[in-house]
Amino acid sequence: MEERLYDLIFICLPTTPEEEVAKIIATLEQVIADRGGKVEKVEKWGTRKMAYRVAKQREGYYVYMSLRGAQPDLIKELERRLKVSDAVIKYMTVRLDEEIKRQQKLVGRRERRARQRPRKSAAAGPGPAPTPGPATEPAAAAS
Amino acid sequence: MADEHTQAPRPSHSGPPREGRFGGGGGAGGGGPRRGKRQYFRKKKVCRFCVDKVDFIDYKKGDMLQSFVQDRGKIMPRRMTGTCSKHQRWLGVAIKRARNIALLPFATEL
Repeated sequence: MEERLYDLIFICLPTTPEEEVAKIIATLEQVIADRGGKVEKVEKWGTRKMAYRVAKQREGYYVYMSLRGAQPDLIKELERRLKVSDAVIKYMTVRLDEEIKRQQKLVGRRERRARQRPRKSAAAGPGPAPTPGPATEPAAAAS
Repeated sequence: MADEHTQAPRPSHSGPPREGRFGGGGGAGGGGPRRGKRQYFRKKKVCRFCVDKVDFIDYKKGDMLQSFVQDRGKIMPRRMTGTCSKHQRWLGVAIKRARNIALLPFATEL
């Protein structure tokens, strides 16, 4: 199975000491490493206001992780760990690789089009930054 | 006079419903100007994401997404923001994700 990219965000109680948060992150990293995953990024956003109350708290300590993994039960295990730990009040995992793929496709398509367009605009009129009037017409004709 | 009216729809955050409904009726192409002289020229809105060539709307940018929700937390309709259909679709997904991790409200409590 090919590798998948996930975003994992969890929120701890604002009263959690730093070491506790570091410990949770360490255990998660351990789990990921055990199952052949890779941690791309770990960001501590720190304590910030939440948009609504969670566990009777208005603030939460946000931690963001970006990870890659291929094993299907990796996320299950991570979420189980987060669920049982008392300090964590909310967590979310999002699979992103398909969206990234789509994004790259779009970028590629735009570049291809950009490569084609200069020739046309050069024929119509000189200048890399043409005025809106003449520029829109060839573009409309192309599409 | 025309200038006053063209500017009116832009800060639509303040008084959305009336303006929005009217704009929607006009946008559907059917109704036209029913109420006398309320027909006015509207400046064409451009999709903010298309201008910046955004390919992926990040759900983590809560502050940016905040400008696409109303005071009570509703997602703003396209007719108010001018977002194109493609980006509106992505925006909706991003806003819903942001809501799930309390970056955006589901509904603001009063």
